[in-house]
Amino acid sequence: MTAPVIDAVVDVRAADWRGAVHAACAPLVSDGALEPRYPERCIAIAEEHGPYMVLAPGIALAHARPEDGALALCLSAAVLATPVEFGHDQNDPVDVVLAFGSPDDAAHLALLQSLAEHLLDGLADELRLAPDRAAAVRALAAVG
Amino acid sequence: MSPAPNRPLTVLAVCGVGMGSSLILKMNAEKALKSLGVEAKVEHTDVSSARGMRADVAIAQGLHADDLGSVAPVVLPISNFMDVDGLRRQLEEALRAQGWLS
Repeated sequence: MTAPVIDAVVDVRAADWRGAVHAACAPLVSDGALEPRYPERCIAIAEEHGPYMVLAPGIALAHARPEDGALALCLSAAVLATPVEFGHDQNDPVDVVLAFGSPDDAAHLALLQSLAEHLLDGLADELRLAPDRAAAVRALAAVG
Repeated sequence: MSPAPNRPLTVLAVCGVGMGSSLILKMNAEKALKSLGVEAKVEHTDVSSARGMRADVAIAQGLHADDLGSVAPVVLPISNFMDVDGLRRQLEEALRAQGWLS
């Protein structure tokens, strides 16, 4: 697969789930992999369809569609200093917010497959324990 | 409606976008079904597209379950998309109840 753009932020202070989604997307926006409107689309979709992005207890995966401003295949994580509520009836609160973007409907398949395997192997805890941003980026880079 | 014995079970994993969460749910459902020895074709999509599709089983977050009643005779609300064992238990119970798993 095309090498994805990987980034992360740790010790993030987000006021609410919307802030957490912005925090997770922000490094990828800075890296030029996502347009600034992408996190707004993630939030709009969640407002319309509910907290689709909350995958498991404590873990969310923010994403929208390629046409929502995904310029390159990319994956990031925001590790929150204080967990936030997404409004999920069983998986709140969330302290690891991942974000990914895919430039088309197929580019992300291998990346997401690898992400699922790494999440089953404890990736979220690795990110939680990362002492700094570089360590979090290294943990996430193992996915892609 | 019950699946013909000579075809794989069809399963539709659904999320709000149809790209990420539902893809991860699809992958973990495939693992769960494989461990049950059930031959299945699992696809993933967004909740709007799902309304025009048909499957034997639909899996999604509980909040989408009401939207999927016309999609499949069996609709399973899944809270933890990463819990393969939990998925396996829910699928096993539902498939047994339908007589699709002996």
